[in-house]
Amino acid sequence: MGRYVVRRLLQMIPVFVGATLLIFLMVNVMGDPIAGLCGDRECDPATAAQLRREFGLDKPVWQQYLTYMGNVFTGDFGTAFNGQPVTELMGTAFPVTVRLTIVAIVAEVVIGITLGVVTGLRRGRPVDTSVLVLTLVVISVPTFVTGLLLQLLLGVKWEWIRPSVSPEAPFDELIVPGLVLASVSLAYVTRLTRTSIAENRRSDYVRTAIAKGLPRHRVITRHLLRNSLIPVVTFIGTDIGALMGGAIVTERIFNIHGVGYQLYQGILRQNTQTVVGFVTVLVLVFLVANLLVDLLYAVLDPRIRYA
Amino acid sequence: MLLEVRDLHVEFHTRDGVAKAVNGVSYAVDAGETLAVLGESGSGKSVTAQTVMGILDVPPGRITAGEVLFEGRDLLKLKEEERRKVRGAEMAMIFQDALSSLNPVLTVGDQLGEMFTVHRGMSRKDARAKAVELMDRVRIPAAGERVKQYPHQFSGGMRQRIMIAMAMALEPKLIIADEPTTALDVTVQAQVMDLLAELQREFRMGLILITHDLGVVADVADRIAVMYAGRIVETAPVHDLYKAPAHPYTRGLLDSIPRLDQKGRELYAIKGLPPSLTRIPPGCAFHPRCPMAQEVCRTDVPPLYDVTESDAERGSACHFWRECLHG
Repeated sequence: MGRYVVRRLLQMIPVFVGATLLIFLMVNVMGDPIAGLCGDRECDPATAAQLRREFGLDKPVWQQYLTYMGNVFTGDFGTAFNGQPVTELMGTAFPVTVRLTIVAIVAEVVIGITLGVVTGLRRGRPVDTSVLVLTLVVISVPTFVTGLLLQLLLGVKWEWIRPSVSPEAPFDELIVPGLVLASVSLAYVTRLTRTSIAENRRSDYVRTAIAKGLPRHRVITRHLLRNSLIPVVTFIGTDIGALMGGAIVTERIFNIHGVGYQLYQGILRQNTQTVVGFVTVLVLVFLVANLLVDLLYAVLDPRIRYA
Repeated sequence: MLLEVRDLHVEFHTRDGVAKAVNGVSYAVDAGETLAVLGESGSGKSVTAQTVMGILDVPPGRITAGEVLFEGRDLLKLKEEERRKVRGAEMAMIFQDALSSLNPVLTVGDQLGEMFTVHRGMSRKDARAKAVELMDRVRIPAAGERVKQYPHQFSGGMRQRIMIAMAMALEPKLIIADEPTTALDVTVQAQVMDLLAELQREFRMGLILITHDLGVVADVADRIAVMYAGRIVETAPVHDLYKAPAHPYTRGLLDSIPRLDQKGRELYAIKGLPPSLTRIPPGCAFHPRCPMAQEVCRTDVPPLYDVTESDAERGSACHFWRECLHG
């Protein structure tokens, strides 16, 4: 187990280098970062050259990458063009996104798995059919429609929630945006759980559990559910990585200043340091989330052993 | 009588129509007695057992008639919660494939101990001690350590011993073993059967042994009930049945056993296939495959005739049981 974790961590190094190099090149090749600084007018050539020297942009790209990575390992993600250190931006953006992700994941786990179990046990009955149709609708409607609609109804018309989240973004204000963000994944979790439950329900070990005279709730929670959750855990695990990447659409609708918002601003203003910095951290988050999912497998299913 | 099944009818609603899996089965088992239920796949032997156990999937299954009397009370009339308390504690079941029948993600100790925590309200610690005791009893070496292992870490024979231990846990009065040795190596089969027979004698349990293996039956069973297309076609004490079958189907089964003294000859097989349960032939269900079939077999369903000759009770559902028995 320990050796497996070490091996996986070592495998992360080339993935990490490759991913950051790729994003570094893409951001550099796509346009001149200085051009965006002077608004709509063209920059004064002397000022531009001065800025290029200052940010090291006159050096070859590979050298820029090495300098950048060197700095990253000392915890210096550079400065955004407005003079704010990128780490400071991360410091305000990530806690907000983490809170939003927590709301979304809790919704996926609690609502998604519950609906999945209920429908999986009542396959073909009216509850099952209606939930299935509902999930299909949720999957088909884009997030910006659901988001804007809920914002309009709950926030503006009925005034149950604040249509725009305050900069501190406390948990209670993130409930509706979190649900919007989770909606599509929630529908997938429901469907995955449903299929898995319905399949395992006919399995021999569930029949054994019933023959042992165990109460129904114990058969379901202890014998059926744990075996059925393995594919669901995979999905939720990878979804954590995706959700941490920030929900550009959801964050914009509800004016949440999280990772998605900062990335969007960074790309819009061609703010290289911000974009590369955030993506670098996201690559790490994604890799770690995947590793955790793989390790969780072994906990859920003892037949899986890592050596 | 410990268990009496009376005129049981079970059907399944499928896309192809109604499958009549059990059509009026009656049998009885007393404490300390072993009844072997013999039949091909689809003969209704497992469905009958599942109905007795109360683990039939309803729907698609449906019990249309009959009684299951366990120590005099009809289990089919009990409420689900009362029925649950009978399962595992008063009657237990051993399944064919121990690997798929044990939960892959729980330790064997948890699965054995569960019987005690749920039915007897024991603490987890006491239940664990009981689990080790049970594993010792079914002669699993190093039980103290292996109790923490998962089913996939045991061999096939050891897994079936764990299934047996789980069934024995609360010392039930009746055990139903559904092809307990089919999935095992021949050498291990004998050990597992011996263990089962030994425990049955020790606790004076009733045992219903469901099998299609005539070899297994001869050693351990007291009585045999042969099933075909959801009916009992012959029932007799083991040795009487082996000596002189009173039904052409039983005779066909006995003739199909490979014999060492007839090495090199072609094996005998009953011609044709068992009928589809959605289209059971009229009259005697066996008539299309029967070498003795007459006109009456196509039209009249034979009742289970009393064919008792000496003192042991025998029955045969064949119009020509006399010819079969003496011919």
